[in-house]
Amino acid sequence: MDMKGKLLVTLVASALLATACGGAATTPSPSIGSTLVIGSAISLTGSQAKEGNLAKQGYDLWYDWIKAQGGITVNGVKHPVSLIYEDDQSKPDLSATLLEKLITAEHAQFILGPYGSAATATDAVIAEKDGIPMVEANGAAQAIFSKGYKYTFGVLSPANKYLTGVIDMAATLSPKPTTVAMLSANDNFSVEVAKAVVEYAPSKGMQVVFNKSYPAAAPDVSGLLSQVKPLNPDIILNSGHLAEAIAINKAAKDLNINAKIFAYSVGPSTPDFVDALGKDANFVYDGSQWTPQVKYTPQFYLTVNQYVLAYKTKYTATAAPDYHVAESTAACLALQKAIENAKSLDPGKVRDALASLDVMTFFGELKFDSRGINVFKPMVVEQIQGGVHFTVYPPNVANGQPQYPTPSWSQR
Amino acid sequence: MSQLLQQLVLGLLLGGVYVSVALGFSLVWGILNIVNLAHGAFVIIGAYVTWVLFTRLGVDPFLSLPVDAVVLFAVGYGLQRGLINRVIRAPLLFTFLLTFGINLVIVSLLLLIFSPDFRSVTPSYSGSGLSLGAVTIPYIGLARLGVAMLLALLLWFLLNRTRIGAGIQAVGADRDAAQLVGIDLRHVYALTFAIGAAFAGVAGGLIGLQQSITPTAGDPFTLQSFAVVILGGLGRVSATIAGGLLFGLIQVLGLNAPGLGAGYSNAIAFAVLVVVLAFRPQGLLGRLA
Repeated sequence: MDMKGKLLVTLVASALLATACGGAATTPSPSIGSTLVIGSAISLTGSQAKEGNLAKQGYDLWYDWIKAQGGITVNGVKHPVSLIYEDDQSKPDLSATLLEKLITAEHAQFILGPYGSAATATDAVIAEKDGIPMVEANGAAQAIFSKGYKYTFGVLSPANKYLTGVIDMAATLSPKPTTVAMLSANDNFSVEVAKAVVEYAPSKGMQVVFNKSYPAAAPDVSGLLSQVKPLNPDIILNSGHLAEAIAINKAAKDLNINAKIFAYSVGPSTPDFVDALGKDANFVYDGSQWTPQVKYTPQFYLTVNQYVLAYKTKYTATAAPDYHVAESTAACLALQKAIENAKSLDPGKVRDALASLDVMTFFGELKFDSRGINVFKPMVVEQIQGGVHFTVYPPNVANGQPQYPTPSWSQR
Repeated sequence: MSQLLQQLVLGLLLGGVYVSVALGFSLVWGILNIVNLAHGAFVIIGAYVTWVLFTRLGVDPFLSLPVDAVVLFAVGYGLQRGLINRVIRAPLLFTFLLTFGINLVIVSLLLLIFSPDFRSVTPSYSGSGLSLGAVTIPYIGLARLGVAMLLALLLWFLLNRTRIGAGIQAVGADRDAAQLVGIDLRHVYALTFAIGAAFAGVAGGLIGLQQSITPTAGDPFTLQSFAVVILGGLGRVSATIAGGLLFGLIQVLGLNAPGLGAGYSNAIAFAVLVVVLAFRPQGLLGRLA
């Protein structure tokens, strides 16, 4: 017998042995089904490339895990997963076009959302039109969900919750802050965040003394802040994105504006914020969808600690994942669980399973109201202390105390 | 009253940024008749050079400005001599397309090299300011305006008091006649473009102090430079100064005018642009071609 023959025999023998072992197990190993295609048109380049890539990291973390599992099990049949991306270049209209391409040309059966409320809103139209379930993790504007769409589900807490947690926390502090200045970019998400604060603050005994919006990516916000200065508010809130949060923090220092609380909706949770501002980033609060300190007991997938470890291993990162990553992974989990619960790949049945989903994950509870919004998971408040993020509110998930009040710029 | 004064001060300081950004753009447009759509990308390259020097070697951002200029001069000279020169006599659309493409390539390269992370240059003196009663003047903003004015002076001196400048002006006035009197056209073209790029680089070094640096952060500067040149007019350094300062004032006042929402800031700025185009197409201080 030559070498090739020997090899063949060995292979056949080991294959037989493997089958025999499989057969000996108490439960039959699931057979392999068709490959399940999931698509996402996400911002990999353009102005939101940073956040878009964070979202992709979250998707990829789950994708690695589900590949290791062999796929999603539906009725005892394991369906391997294929996750396909398109780059929407941070343009919402392009996102919708690419989504259509994913569905028609690439035959995507399910959709993971794009980055940002604007792109999610345009993608939701396509998902609805084609009857393809979309689970999204990066569009928090409630406007997306007010149009009666049946196929779009968001795993994250809606925009109106982003900064109200900061107000709740402020109400517990002493001396209690009483005046609020609200600055906001004029995109749909940021406006909702601001509107909710303006409506909510009076119920906690706080007066909104300034409320003004600026164009998203405004060239200069120092003019706006100079109007805030003479009002001397206790709390300065900004609702916008990372670039604007950095600009506002810089401008506040430039103009020597000292508030007791500086809190920004989006930005401070990312490592870039601390890198960009150094010690000026300290004492800043933000509302966060998730922090690595939260204490949830998941029903499946990884625990919070395992998740943080998986992230650090895959991306050789020293910092823990920020919430953009975690919420994106959570969207995958919601979709996976719904497909399993539906016991079918039929888009309509998976859609119904999403609507009735209620599962606890490392990210928190995943459950949707009739509009498709996850109003059941709370937001947490973070503060940067000595360059490190601490969860400071609500107390039951916190790992630090709020450092309050914020010292003046000259004394930091 | 002090509130208005504060707004005026901040408007002028922002205008300083626009002046520095638009000087090179205006030069290239005026002399070479190229509307350089990669101008904003040049600005951001300058910002990244300053950022690298600041974070890796601890070089003060103001001291790195000459390095920005040298790097961008080389980039500009090479791009013009190697690429843009091939279409310099073609219709305007060709240079438009080419510079648009160059912009895309630069932005993508920056994305590959630096990733989309937000970078920022924050020296220790960042955030301090001069307090005059109720009006605060941030030192960095003031220094930026000062550098912008120095740049303008330098460009004026270069164009009007040096042999190179005379050559550049001659090419701008009549390229065939300039060639007839022995000016090396290709060299002057490349030199003009390189000087424009060098000014963009310095502007970029200033910009990293104010805002976050990302690969795509340059795009608005191309549009803003365009607006400044339309507003002020083409062909004069003083026109760029007037256009830049005015554009800064309009932006800040428009954003902060009582009772006006967020959308009005840009609307007002560009409405002024339309009015200027309608009634004074050569710009406030520009010369008619």
